[in-house]
Amino acid sequence: MLCEKCQKEAASVHVVKIINGQKTEAHLCQNCARELGEFGLSVDLPNLFASLFDYTPFSGKLAGPKQCPTCRSTMEDFRQLNQFGCSDCYETFREEIEPLLRRLHGSSHHEGKVPAQGYAALSAERQVRMLRDRLQQAINMENYEEAARIRDQIRALERQAHGEGK
Amino acid sequence: MSKSWTKKDGPQGDICLGTRIRLARNLAKVPFPATANREQAKKVLKTAKELVESLNQLAPVTFYELAEVDELERQVLMEKHLISPEHTKKTSTKGLILSENEDISIMVNEEDHFRIQVLMPGLQLQAAWELADRVDDLIESQVEYAFDPDIGYLTACPTNVGTGMRGSLMLHLPGLAKINQLENVLRSVSQFGLAVRGLYGEGSESYGCIYQISNQVSLGDSEADMLEHLARVTSQIITSERQARQYLQEHSPAECEDQVYRAYGLLTHARIISTQEAMDLLSTVMLGIDLGMIRDLDRGLVKQLMVEIRAAHLQKMMGQSLPAQERDRLRASLIRDRLSR
Repeated sequence: MLCEKCQKEAASVHVVKIINGQKTEAHLCQNCARELGEFGLSVDLPNLFASLFDYTPFSGKLAGPKQCPTCRSTMEDFRQLNQFGCSDCYETFREEIEPLLRRLHGSSHHEGKVPAQGYAALSAERQVRMLRDRLQQAINMENYEEAARIRDQIRALERQAHGEGK
Repeated sequence: MSKSWTKKDGPQGDICLGTRIRLARNLAKVPFPATANREQAKKVLKTAKELVESLNQLAPVTFYELAEVDELERQVLMEKHLISPEHTKKTSTKGLILSENEDISIMVNEEDHFRIQVLMPGLQLQAAWELADRVDDLIESQVEYAFDPDIGYLTACPTNVGTGMRGSLMLHLPGLAKINQLENVLRSVSQFGLAVRGLYGEGSESYGCIYQISNQVSLGDSEADMLEHLARVTSQIITSERQARQYLQEHSPAECEDQVYRAYGLLTHARIISTQEAMDLLSTVMLGIDLGMIRDLDRGLVKQLMVEIRAAHLQKMMGQSLPAQERDRLRASLIRDRLSR
């Protein structure tokens, strides 16, 4: 059955009101029900993520939930599954996810391994940090030619960063 | 039967039974397994199968479609810690890539597209990480990973983003258990941001005094730093266990020896025995071997028995499913047989 209000989503909230003996029924989707204030969004199962998430203030937009363009998941789906639908969800819901990550891991910045393909997109600072590690390793292994090359790479990056009026 | 990591003893092998490094990885643009439709999941399986050729450069591996592996065999794989309990169910689009000596196992379409696992005997976090790293590099050269420059490797569950790495150690702690210091030690571990759980048994129980310590956080530090932290805390636990064993030897050698030989007596003579009882007795016997109280019993044999007595292993041995009572009798007879040689 389709939502009576928007005629788009499936009706999952069924409101029956009996007031002064008069019975009225309404069949709405969760978004329209929320908008009309008929029912709060019920969290079916108490789960850790939902409670963590409830901490962060919602952006308050009632114009329909954000949807990931690749897999069409919403934050509500995340609450129910405790999982995201696809990797693009992290971009779509970046604003909401960042505080969640800080709560889970104490940080929202990755400092570990980077796949070769992902290297180019890293910030210049991160690249310099990684190069400095490698420089130290090269020195420790007395591989001075390699060390000189890495040192030049670091210089080039830093020059670039300063040149861009950092 | 079980190959490398349960048969051999690694570094600190008297207390640390094994090391596991797990990396969670996903393909870019493809929905995660819980959201993917059948066609997408099948595509991931196909991609995994095509990785075998390049992985063979590292070690001989085989690809399995779990739907074609029978139920009992799947349970055996789980008992060997090669796949998770989750991965034994609803197998229509699940896969596994397994190395010949069972040190590399890659689950396909579990919670993430790929879960790369490396298992090694004893305490070998660095070596296990290096191998996992190489497997990861090989796969990455063939596919496009879901990775964000800010958040790191992207996973279905946000608890795994960043490095996507979970390092775990399996520790045998009968000494601490016997002097009633186990709870204290384990509680302090969780204060260091690490997770502890009994490896065998339900809920808060732990058969055989075997515990798993692992990191909880996967984002914000380098892999090396996370593993260093895990190694340091584990070393402290190992030191405590050694001290506990020494204490037992110095202060109550007679009681300890009595317990060890009672356990040995039961194992070599019981006709019916449950997994829990067997694990606890085997644990005590292993302690006896480590303390030099039992000399003519092979430690590896006891370690192997701990895996072989589990339900699916027994049933596989008999080639059929068995009800619990029969398993308990079979278990007792297997143990008597093995220990009498």
